[in-house]
Amino acid sequence: MMRVDLAVVGAGPAGLAAAAEAVTHGMTVALIDDNARPGGQYFRHVPPSFRRTAATAFDKDRARAEALFAITRHPQVTYLPEATVWDVPEPLTLAVAAGPRSGQVEAGAIVVAAGAHDRPVPFPGWTLPGVVSAGGVQNLIKGFRLVPGTRAAVAGNGPLLFLIGASLLRAGVAVAAVVEAAPIDRRLPAALPQLLAAPEILQQALDYRWALLRAGVPVLTGWAPVNAEGEDAVRAVQAAPIAEDGSVDRARARSFDCDLLVVGFGLVPSVELLRLAGAGLRFDRRRGGWLPERDEALETTRRNIFAAGDGTGIGGVELALIEGRRAAVEAAVQLSRIAPFAADEIRAGLRRRWKRLDRFRRGIEALFAPPKDFLALQTPQTVLCRCEEVTRQEIEERRAEGFRGAVQLKSTTRMGMGRCQGRNCMATLAALVAADSGASESAVALPKARAPARPIPIGDLLHETIPPPDLPADPHLPRKRRT
Amino acid sequence: MTSIPSRADAVIVGAGIAGLCTALPLAKAGRTVVVLDRGAAWGDASGANAGTLSLQVKRPEVLHVTRRAIELWQAMRAELGADVGFAKPGGLRVATSEKELGMLRGSMAVQASLGLETEWLEGNRLRDAAPWLGPSVRAATWCDWDALSSPLLAGRALLAAARRRGVTVQDQAEVTAIAALDRGYRVTTAAGTVDCAQLVIAAGAWTGKVAALLGVDLPVDADVNMLSVTEPAPPLLDKVVTHMGGVLSLKQYPNGTVMIGGGWQGRGSHQSMRRETDHLNLLHNMRVACAIVPALKDLRLVRSWAGFEGVASDALPLLGALPGRPGAFVNACARGGYSQGPALGEQMAELMLTGRTSLDVARFDPARFAAAGAHA
Ligand SMILES: Cc1cc2nc3c(=O)[nH]c(=O)nc-3n(C[C@H](O)[C@H](O)[C@H](O)COP(=O)(O)OP(=O)(O)OC[C@H]3O[C@@H](n4cnc5c(N)ncnc54)[C@H](O)[C@@H]3O)c2cc1C
Ligand SMILES: Cc1cc2nc3c(=O)[nH]c(=O)nc-3n(C[C@H](O)[C@H](O)[C@H](O)COP(=O)(O)OP(=O)(O)OC[C@H]3O[C@@H](n4cnc5c(N)ncnc54)[C@H](O)[C@@H]3O)c2cc1C
Repeated sequence: MMRVDLAVVGAGPAGLAAAAEAVTHGMTVALIDDNARPGGQYFRHVPPSFRRTAATAFDKDRARAEALFAITRHPQVTYLPEATVWDVPEPLTLAVAAGPRSGQVEAGAIVVAAGAHDRPVPFPGWTLPGVVSAGGVQNLIKGFRLVPGTRAAVAGNGPLLFLIGASLLRAGVAVAAVVEAAPIDRRLPAALPQLLAAPEILQQALDYRWALLRAGVPVLTGWAPVNAEGEDAVRAVQAAPIAEDGSVDRARARSFDCDLLVVGFGLVPSVELLRLAGAGLRFDRRRGGWLPERDEALETTRRNIFAAGDGTGIGGVELALIEGRRAAVEAAVQLSRIAPFAADEIRAGLRRRWKRLDRFRRGIEALFAPPKDFLALQTPQTVLCRCEEVTRQEIEERRAEGFRGAVQLKSTTRMGMGRCQGRNCMATLAALVAADSGASESAVALPKARAPARPIPIGDLLHETIPPPDLPADPHLPRKRRT
Repeated sequence: MTSIPSRADAVIVGAGIAGLCTALPLAKAGRTVVVLDRGAAWGDASGANAGTLSLQVKRPEVLHVTRRAIELWQAMRAELGADVGFAKPGGLRVATSEKELGMLRGSMAVQASLGLETEWLEGNRLRDAAPWLGPSVRAATWCDWDALSSPLLAGRALLAAARRRGVTVQDQAEVTAIAALDRGYRVTTAAGTVDCAQLVIAAGAWTGKVAALLGVDLPVDADVNMLSVTEPAPPLLDKVVTHMGGVLSLKQYPNGTVMIGGGWQGRGSHQSMRRETDHLNLLHNMRVACAIVPALKDLRLVRSWAGFEGVASDALPLLGALPGRPGAFVNACARGGYSQGPALGEQMAELMLTGRTSLDVARFDPARFAAAGAHA
């Protein structure tokens, strides 16, 4: 068992910033991340042993990234890479699976900076080889300088599509089309005032769009992928107009040849750990779905558990950096490691920037607000749950038998019971149940959060020294338990 | 929301295995049956359990009903016209210490005296039968009756069959009051009121609470059993594994997932409805499992959960008429009630239809506890 002042989950921008701030207030820190190298999603980088061939966002941000990574070598910081936080056994204790280093970390406060993952949206053919997620492609480009195709189409919803399109062009790949579900061109004028809150980020986005334009890439806005075609690999994608109510006009579909289809429908905050910790959540569809409730100090409804970065609602790297710092300052306040006036000073600076970026984020959210749902993209044969290969038709059959709620549909189809434990398909199931019952997605009762937060090797659980078990004298009689 | 019928021959409180296996034979005999559940049907112990149908781990008092139940499980696919994931690979009940070896020998002798023959395995014969067992296993008894089924498939099949036979299964219908009529009962629920001639309490861990609505005291508590499941893996163990000390149950399903249980206790209670896994007990459970089957170390754990298993203070089933409450019955709290469910439901229905049972279930009579009228 390790004891620290602050435990930080996630070594992405938010977690690194939190650790860096915490040490300046004299705190000891455990920085726990399941990747082999620090940086999280944004500062993902090639292993030092790889030769560099093309520039990526990381190179541009290299100085900033290197400065952040330095915190992993700070004497007050215990950095645990390749370590998964899988349970929250006590209110301020984390269980960590990390091979022989596995064990518990007890902390005065916790910052959960767990980031976000891709939101899968099922449509016919989305499981074909050659169809990859935006995050997956970004990881290949950033982490390995690899692009798995020669002619790509990019489709989905959200600001990342333009970034991906542009970085594919830069990597020398032909881009057949960028297909964005939100009618952003029509919405741009209304969102502009908010977007101008962060002109430097807006400029980046416009640069991406401009690069696509210059390369003559068709950009369809208010359109969605309705079919990925091919036998053993994707050959083409069909896209069709999608309305705000989610209906699609297949009659107007257009087809684009490609051997790589990059699909991104935005990101979903990773809230499993916070759910396990019993923190309250709220629903915000534009910001990614279920998010932790937080107060102004970024504290969740659990005392001394803070949440920062994309794991609290998608906000981008700059916001993540600010939130990480802010959460660490508040933890320092809680543990009396900083004088109140000093905290106020830091808060004031952070708050100003946070407000500006939050305003920008609201503009992005208004611009890219998705249609009501993406259920009309599905056909009866569409696979909804990849792990257990559950199709839309199976869901309809169970409904006809009388099973309607998310929990019942899960247990009668096994949707969400595979390797990913619903991380990928629960949002789809919730949308289906919501559409069926006429209720909102936020009212759909989802299966309980359960350990492990992420799959872990059972062998990792054998290393820690624990007190001997209390064995039953007669196994048939009622057992002793802690309540 | 559909409304429940205003009357029925029989009302059953609880849509778990006990309730549904009572409802089916009643409906088959032509009775109109309404099954009420507080939450979602099959949403508690029956939907959350490990699916082990082990005969040799059962107490001597319930061997005969469990044996009958396994026969019924075996016939269920044909009976219901749907797969319930039944397989009968046989099972090993392992012993790891001197004390457990003694207990296992004793248990084997008692079972033999009751007509259940098991086989003692140790040394090379044991390793040949189960090369995947770890060195900590000193001996095991082999029982070819031991089986398994899938609670997920069984729930779906039983509910579909019940509905097909005209049984009304009503979700979100918590029973909040029961009033005696001249003949029968009026049952008030969150989804409406229904009158019936016969009433069965099959409310699992909450049987005591429902019986109290009739003014009957039953000493019912609940264990908070934990269970864990791994990712799908290549074939690893081909038999059902249980443990003399009662701290492990293991088996691999055809889809490759391994279910790891053993009655380790989570936190919470059936009164508060809180059921969480207990971190330390989860670690213990995994350690026992890896000691018995070392190859489990290399599998990934994907989910653990906890569920309520109702248990009477003497850990025997509650099956029979409620004393002093004509027409009211109880079928609940069998230890390993998923295994025994089909037979206990069958006996319950026989009692309700004919006043007699084909198996001897006298020891399970709730009259052994019921202080009827204590606060009626
Ligand atoms: C394809 C793509 C492109 C992007 N491009 C941009 C961009 O151009 N500009 C921009 O501003 N933003 C961009 N973003 C978003 C940006 O990556 C995030 O805003 C930023 O990385 C968020 O930082 P974070 O620290 O909150 O989370 P992350 O960077 O996601 O870091 C979270 C870390 O926590 C780890 N973790 C989570 N749970 C656990 C656990 N239980 N145990 C151990 N470790 C855990 C994760 O593995 C990860 O390393 C992009 C995102 C994607 C997916
Ligand atoms: C984790 C776990 C693992 C287990 N493993 C095994 C195993 O491997 N093999 C085995 O044989 N047994 C096992 N068991 C035990 C077995 O699951 C139970 O004995 C059996 O399922 C009990 O069935 P039941 O129908 O009596 O109760 P339940 O399935 O709990 O059903 C009772 C129903 O009554 C309803 N109810 C309660 N109060 C009211 C009310 N007031 N109004 C309306 N409805 C009400 C509940 O909602 C519930 O659905 C396990 C149990 C658990 C928890």
